[in-house]
Amino acid sequence: MIAYSDIKIPSRTKHLWRYTPWRRVHPSKVEEIPDASALSISLGESGSMLEESNEIARAFLGECSAETRDISLNDEKSELELVATGEITCSSLRINSVGVSVLRIRLSGNPKWVGLRIEGVVSGTLSVVLINDLGADVHLLRCEDWDIKRDSLLELATLSYGGFLIKSDIRANLLESGAQFTGGIASHGHVARHDDHHVEISHMGKHTNSSLIVHSACGDSSHSIGTGLLKIGEDANGSDAGQVFRNILFSEKARADSIPELEVLSDDVKAAHGAASAPVDKEQVHYLMSRGLNNSESESLIIEGFLMDAFREIKNTTILDAIRTRLLVHLDCLVKG
Amino acid sequence: MGDEILCISNVDISVEGKPIVSNLSLTISKGEVHAIMGRNGSGKSTLVNAIMGHPSYEITAGNISYLGVDLANLEIFERARLGMFLSFQYPSVIPGVQVGTFLRKSVAAVREDPPSARDFRNELKLHMDTLGMDRSFLSRYVNDGFSGGEKKRLEILQLLLHSPKLALLDETDSGLDIDGLRAVSEGINQVIPNAGCLIITHYQRVLDHVNPDFVHVMIDGSIVKSGGPELAIEIESKGYDWLDNKSGD
Repeated sequence: MIAYSDIKIPSRTKHLWRYTPWRRVHPSKVEEIPDASALSISLGESGSMLEESNEIARAFLGECSAETRDISLNDEKSELELVATGEITCSSLRINSVGVSVLRIRLSGNPKWVGLRIEGVVSGTLSVVLINDLGADVHLLRCEDWDIKRDSLLELATLSYGGFLIKSDIRANLLESGAQFTGGIASHGHVARHDDHHVEISHMGKHTNSSLIVHSACGDSSHSIGTGLLKIGEDANGSDAGQVFRNILFSEKARADSIPELEVLSDDVKAAHGAASAPVDKEQVHYLMSRGLNNSESESLIIEGFLMDAFREIKNTTILDAIRTRLLVHLDCLVKG
Repeated sequence: MGDEILCISNVDISVEGKPIVSNLSLTISKGEVHAIMGRNGSGKSTLVNAIMGHPSYEITAGNISYLGVDLANLEIFERARLGMFLSFQYPSVIPGVQVGTFLRKSVAAVREDPPSARDFRNELKLHMDTLGMDRSFLSRYVNDGFSGGEKKRLEILQLLLHSPKLALLDETDSGLDIDGLRAVSEGINQVIPNAGCLIITHYQRVLDHVNPDFVHVMIDGSIVKSGGPELAIEIESKGYDWLDNKSGD
């Protein structure tokens, strides 16, 4: 067994920890495992601990988790409310999905620190959205590991607008031939939010496909980070993978860093990645203002469109409707102050 | 005629410090259609963009009043809410924003009493039928992947929904086939009785469908000649050179 205390603090030379080092993510003194309460979870049954990991964030969450929940999905649509209370709160989820299922996860509450670890296995089609609706001062550490089986599809969407400092580390493993992953991440940076998403997609089986779109709309003095690692193994011939990171900056103080990386060990593959950042298009703002929308209403509509565009590859309409609804509520609240 | 809507008095307009329009005056009243013709780069689009308040266009001399209010005191969105509408030559693409959502928000912004969802749908249907637009337009993203004709139809759909007091139409006829031109012209004609209308165009053909009361020719940032509809026909056959020579007259 590898204990958290035995793991070395990771270097910032790795992209995963470059912009949000472990010391900033940890809720207290870096050598400690603090006492944590469990998230209030609306689904599932108590289960045993998740697989151990020698990676610092996963090992920490494993030791810190106050509870693990097992959630089984079988051709069903489910809503999962995760409510964080107390000061430090941490839980783990083990999700097993067969058939065609949909899972909507909403993370809310206003503690000091939230830890969430998710392990999932997908056989069939699973569409998942995680909506980060946390309070404005919350720190969140989220680690997800998904195994996607033969001819199965995981649609994984994240809408992130809550919290103050967010570190998300998402891994999708396309284990067997025909496995597919479609990812969409939309982050709204406002006030001084720091939102760091790292996504690793590993193609291990033949003819596996993946697509990842990460869009960040950054305003005020927020900082958005997107790092991606696309790994195509030597046995993954015939695979097709692409990832795109795009950022719009709405203020001179806002920052966005995007680093997509490729690691291709097979010859017969298609792999593409790209990243782009630009200030908001003033012509778009002018066009909308000429239609009667004031500056903040115009920017809000541009943000809505840009963030929804991160989910253009997601097919499940339940997920898309949930995202749009929550995003509109969030943006309306900001416009109305 | 009567009911003065827009009064432009001796304005100079610059773009990024470069003078484009000089000493231009024009008055538009309710129910009047004014057409401005001119070569590329003569300042036609600069004029309408400055009237609408584009931040890159600076009025450096003279003044423009709209319904008796100095435009310098009005933000762009306030101009729109007071009934000013610009149909853009190159409308912006807004990815991810559905046309239906955009139209509903803009109508809610410009009307004092926004229509109910049901009334809005009925109104939308009526105007889309006028313009020969398919319902699938509403779920597409604003101008994203639209053909030139589709963009112009969407502009005129907005014109009909806004029902403005002043319609500024910047080359609304470009990119339209014959059927499109007819449909768009029908839309424009619907708003004319209650609005002043300023049409920027290169061609006389739109004026076969929308009858202008006045035709003005702009050369090098100034109106060099004004007349009735017959002036457009004359320009169509003779071009602009004969007016360019007379510009000092």
